[in-house]
Amino acid sequence: MQRETRISYGPVPRSLGDQNIAEIAWQMAGDRFLLRAAGDHYFFYSRDEGITVERGDGAVLEEEELWLNGSVYAAIASMNGLLPIHASAVAHRSTVVAFTGVPGSGKSTLAAALANFGLPMFCDDTLVLDLSNPDEIVCHPGHKRLKLSPDAAELTGAEVQERVSPAIDKHYAHPAADVGDRPLPLGSLIFLEEPIAGAERMLRLDDNHYTAHLFAAAQQFSRGEQFELRARLARAISMARFIRPIDRSVFAGGVSLLAEYISGQPWAR
Amino acid sequence: MGALTKLKDRYSETEIDGEIIIMRLDNGELLSLTDTGAAIWRLIDGVRDRGQLVAALNRQFDISSQDVGPQVDDFLTALKQAGLVASV
Repeated sequence: MQRETRISYGPVPRSLGDQNIAEIAWQMAGDRFLLRAAGDHYFFYSRDEGITVERGDGAVLEEEELWLNGSVYAAIASMNGLLPIHASAVAHRSTVVAFTGVPGSGKSTLAAALANFGLPMFCDDTLVLDLSNPDEIVCHPGHKRLKLSPDAAELTGAEVQERVSPAIDKHYAHPAADVGDRPLPLGSLIFLEEPIAGAERMLRLDDNHYTAHLFAAAQQFSRGEQFELRARLARAISMARFIRPIDRSVFAGGVSLLAEYISGQPWAR
Repeated sequence: MGALTKLKDRYSETEIDGEIIIMRLDNGELLSLTDTGAAIWRLIDGVRDRGQLVAALNRQFDISSQDVGPQVDDFLTALKQAGLVASV
């Protein structure tokens, strides 16, 4: 990947097919890839020749690293038989633990925070997996800079650097501890779940248990009255997700985590 | 197009975590509104017409009327088809 991601600057093709590429779009053809960002900012990759960047007059230079480390990096990985996944990761001893989830779910923040527990950051936002060994899935170490909101940087003690782009309220940051820099096998992929919020708070109350049926039969609520009842409950009750470990060997750990959560809640004090 | 008004006998609504949840009383269908959808819903007050609503939305989100007009029209059409809003 290091050899394939070397960068030079100069003119690039406007198309890899029949039509010129549109703004904020990409084309892939054989061993070539072309991406066009805003302001006539072009990124062209050709296998064995690396990346060529062409900066038009309106190119947002602050966003160049974002494109290179995001779409361009993932495309090059994909074209070279690697699997890029949307995840941030840390190293633990000789394995990688990766976190994936929707934007805003806290992948980068968690990777930065775990550095304080002696777990070096392994990559941010894009994790590249090497599937060539049938016995093992190996992770390639990624970019050494996190992208964190001001709050997340303060929370995790990461060293804040320049702003990612004028349009994005995030800064590049270096985690508070060392970063992993050698390929390691993937130990676990953890999915970060969103808190239960908004409409989901009501939908979660849609219970199919017989108790709900008995209540409905007794009260004979109209549709509107049922809605009002659920809305009231959804607004009034604190809700959380907990996936209980089924494995007996980690049962105590799960219970301990839950006990700690309960004791830390405002309503439990 | 006249003032836009909510047909309050057709639905129940609540707001949780900034998300507006509306239930059609005729079929139980739920509608969830966030961001600009929620803002438009709040701006429908029985007084503003479509133009005034777009202007208010522009002020609120600092965007031009050309940008949001078609989307507002699509959204209002969906609300009218669902029987939740009418022009009076």
